Amino acid sequence: MVTSPMTPERLLPGPTPVTLLDAAGQAVPSDGLDMPADQVLLALYRMMVLGRRFDTQATALTKQGRLAVYPSARGQEACQIAAVAALRPQDWLFPTYRDSMAVTARGVDPVQVLTLLRGDWHSGYDPYQKRVAPQCTPLATNTLHAVGMARAAAIKGEDMVALVMLGDGATSEGDTHAALNFAAVWKAPVVFLVQNNGYAISVPLSKQTAAPSLAHKGIGYGVPGTLVDGNDAAAVYAVVRRAVTSAASGAGPALIEALTYRVEAHTNADDATRYRSRDEVDSWLARDPVTRLREHLGRRGLLAAADVAALEAQAEAEAAALRQRMNTGTRHDPADLFRYVYAEQTPELRRQQHELAAELAELELAELEEAGTRDDDDR
Amino acid sequence: MTTTAEQDRALAAGQAVTMAGALNQALSDALSEDDTVLVFGEDVGTLGGVFRITSGLAAAFGETRVFDTPLAESGIVGTAIGMAMNGLRPVVEMQFDAFAYPAFEQITSHLAKLRNRTRGRVGLPIVIRIPYGGGIGGVEHHCDSSEAYYTHTAGLRVVTPGTPADAYVLLRQAIKSPDPVIFLEPKRRYWSKEVVSAHADIPMDRAVVRRSGSDVTLITYGGALATTLEAAQAAESDDRSVEVIDLRSLAPFDDETVTASVKRTGRAIVVHEASRFCGYGAEVAARVSEQCFHYLEAPVLRVAGFDIPYPPPSLEEYHLPSVDRILAAIDRLQWRETASGAQAAG
Amino acid sequence: MAAFVLPDLGEGLTEAEIVTWHVRVGDIVAVDQEVVEVETAKAVVAIPVPFAGRVAELHAGPGDLLAVGDPLITVSDDHAGFGTDGESGNVLIGYGTTAARPRRRRSAQHEPSMLITERPAHSNGRVPVVSPIVRRLARNAGIDLASVRGSGRDGLVTRQDVENAIGVRPAVRTGPPATGSDQVTRTPLQGIRKVTADKLSRSRREIPEATVWVDADATELLSLRASLNAEDAEPKISLLALLSRFAILGLRRHPELNAKVEDGVIVMGPAVHLGFAAQTDRGLLVPVVAQAQARTLEQLSAALADSTLRARQGILGPAELTGGTFTINNYGVFGVDGSAAIINHPEVAILGIGRIIERPWIVRGQVAARHLTQLTLAFDHRVCDGQTAGGFLRFVADCVESPARVLRYL
Repeated sequence: MVTSPMTPERLLPGPTPVTLLDAAGQAVPSDGLDMPADQVLLALYRMMVLGRRFDTQATALTKQGRLAVYPSARGQEACQIAAVAALRPQDWLFPTYRDSMAVTARGVDPVQVLTLLRGDWHSGYDPYQKRVAPQCTPLATNTLHAVGMARAAAIKGEDMVALVMLGDGATSEGDTHAALNFAAVWKAPVVFLVQNNGYAISVPLSKQTAAPSLAHKGIGYGVPGTLVDGNDAAAVYAVVRRAVTSAASGAGPALIEALTYRVEAHTNADDATRYRSRDEVDSWLARDPVTRLREHLGRRGLLAAADVAALEAQAEAEAAALRQRMNTGTRHDPADLFRYVYAEQTPELRRQQHELAAELAELELAELEEAGTRDDDDR
Repeated sequence: MTTTAEQDRALAAGQAVTMAGALNQALSDALSEDDTVLVFGEDVGTLGGVFRITSGLAAAFGETRVFDTPLAESGIVGTAIGMAMNGLRPVVEMQFDAFAYPAFEQITSHLAKLRNRTRGRVGLPIVIRIPYGGGIGGVEHHCDSSEAYYTHTAGLRVVTPGTPADAYVLLRQAIKSPDPVIFLEPKRRYWSKEVVSAHADIPMDRAVVRRSGSDVTLITYGGALATTLEAAQAAESDDRSVEVIDLRSLAPFDDETVTASVKRTGRAIVVHEASRFCGYGAEVAARVSEQCFHYLEAPVLRVAGFDIPYPPPSLEEYHLPSVDRILAAIDRLQWRETASGAQAAG
Repeated sequence: MAAFVLPDLGEGLTEAEIVTWHVRVGDIVAVDQEVVEVETAKAVVAIPVPFAGRVAELHAGPGDLLAVGDPLITVSDDHAGFGTDGESGNVLIGYGTTAARPRRRRSAQHEPSMLITERPAHSNGRVPVVSPIVRRLARNAGIDLASVRGSGRDGLVTRQDVENAIGVRPAVRTGPPATGSDQVTRTPLQGIRKVTADKLSRSRREIPEATVWVDADATELLSLRASLNAEDAEPKISLLALLSRFAILGLRRHPELNAKVEDGVIVMGPAVHLGFAAQTDRGLLVPVVAQAQARTLEQLSAALADSTLRARQGILGPAELTGGTFTINNYGVFGVDGSAAIINHPEVAILGIGRIIERPWIVRGQVAARHLTQLTLAFDHRVCDGQTAGGFLRFVADCVESPARVLRYL
């Protein structure tokens, strides 16, 4: 028999998404949720501007052939930044492949963040440094890792919350179901942040679920679900913060669905015109999260034009620096393929490493010889 | 089934314990020695596991360390990964071989790859215990031999004990290993008995010659070991001297022990329950052929299950490698006729 | 759409002038393709575009001055043409396919490395034998392998070892050969063979050549050569050397045959760099003896012999294979009389000599057996006519027939 302190009603999200700023950037009151402090709002704005510039730069780099692929989070800045801003240093972030902006905002070196997408290695950073798990590609599989991480923290008596990011499509995967279930049974300090950006590549939400909202799914597990306007940075911050605090106090996991929109295609090689209309994209562009926050801060006299300009300049400088750094080729060592498979390299792998080295040496020699012969014939 | 305390006494007294008992003891000892070790899975807590392998552990070590999970194998392995990332050493159980498949993605996409993905910064010292193989008259899905899927996945260690002594030793080593280990327990041998020593001399990645011989090398592991030893004994009456190697470690593979033996005998047969096509034996045969070609009298043969879904209990005996089938394979190894008409080594 | 602005080309540059565009509106460009040349205060620089796609707009024309940061070219990300033929271009999750880089194995193949180092046979162990078939061979013949000495690596017993032990010669193949008569081999034209092939093709393609030939009585030449070479201590004079000397004299009289045609220009020089055809294992080579006109007969003979040897050894350097102005071809060594030789492009003529055999000839009104040879000259008819060619060949033939007369021209 299960007893839950939450009544079914309290597990369900409210009738409308939580907002603190309307589309024009006007503050609106919300039941039980406070507007974040001014410094927080300014920090959110700043990081969103920098984050967007990072994102557009990464998209450009892909078009220049410097990245293999870049799944953009453009349009989702409020979710990306506010979620990270609401975490404490000791908390863990479990991102997906689309959350490079969030990972950068958490403090990981952008070049390291782009290592995966450049194709240099499967992950470019030490997870323990900023407490960010590697960007996860198999959808929803990271939800279980977050639950395990959080559960271990509880067992060890650590004050730590794990925040896992997943998309609308990932909520269909079995692992999400298992993760919510385990997290609830264990009362693990996990926050599930579902960025509902409307599409799983080309599949719209209407084909993904028949639930009234993704936040409604929490009740099945005994996990409270909250629906929030994902383009309202203040609201996302407040909601995530509340969930983190609650989880840290031992109240268990939370499910948050943030409504937002994926302005770019799935990746640079996707053709979004095949499955959605220009009008739809335009309507969401009109609800731009960065603009909204800027309007609000401007209205309240917290952000002057000079500040905006200075921030733009800083963003440009960072983008230029990133371009510069990404123009340096990376040295790839084939021997790395064999170094990290086991804690200690096995004799078989050592043998294979030498086999490859010998093969490469022989090919190099053959090419040198061929070049020599070619030169002779040309004269 | 004996409890942990009874096993302690049995071990101390040098009495024989069952493989199940040896595994239980190994878990108990590991939990005692290392606070970061956890044991979890379906029914492993209160019940002590459907095969009683974890019997008494929850009571002895508490439900924070030994506990039952909701029924989701991907959940068990996925959360184990998160826990290991935070410094714990999960030892999880998949209730039966075929029921491990929901966890297959977590095992192949993350468990096997996370160390490599992070260039060694994140290690996952996780053991996944899986009862495998047939010979227990089990209904469908309870008798699979799934070792080939795991051995083929780079980044995993795969070990399988053939004896109670090795069950203890290998499980202790697996738990201590910094790498993820798929620990395949031949369920048909859970009840076999042997005196177990707690001392582990043999490294986890080495094979062992269980029986010395000079005419042919039989290479096997897990549940088929006992049958193979029986066949070796029977071959004596055919005047054949049969050497039996227990691989113990399926990945990595102990080339040294195996090739040293085959280079001496010149003949090799791999014996396993799993289906022959693309089965583990194919890798062994390829390696032995490559490395011992100049020493071979005959092709490397495989005695294995047929290429069929595992049979129902009533027909199981026709599928499993038997003593007779092994002896017949030995006969096919191109012996030279001597003047007396008896066959001798070439 | 992406506008590429004029980047800072270095060292505090502020502006640059457009010199030439390499693309036009509508062209497809690839990343890093050079699209424009600009002139700075220091140099003319070619600029690669960092985007791929279709050129939408060029923002300045040749002669225009642009400041750093001004738009240079706008490229639309038209996905058409992203991938080159047969390749995918950028895909949803990665860079896409790439054409495999052609790789060449060295011709000398190593023995594939054993998985673990081969150990010598145990003292109580088995004898390593090169294959199970050979082991069976030994067994069937009653040979104890331990008594066979292995001649292979690390004491490996080979088939030959076993067969020697049996005392059997390899069986004569009876019946149809394993390879059928319709076995087809395919050998690509590569390396030297290809280079030669190209040259010969080009020669036939470009040069309107004509050939003249004449039979000559070489009896006197042969006896002259025999007497020259009678002294053991003296270096031998080859027939080729004698013919070369005559040719050089002939070229002095008809210098237009000692020329090359390059880009529609007849290039003539005083030096005769004499090439001669040499057949080697690697194919036909034409070593060149430079400044042949300045060498004595002896020196010429030595140089020809030396070049031939080096050609056969495959150690001729590039300088020794190029720069010829005239070529001699002794195809008589193949046992034939005449040859419509292919001119060694870009030269204008090639002299050939066939075999020297006894044939009936008229000497002082009587039929006599003489040593005859056929001389041929293939020549570029654009450069000279029959008079020149015939004159040259006649002269060489006269030298062959009456070598003493050559003294007049020395």
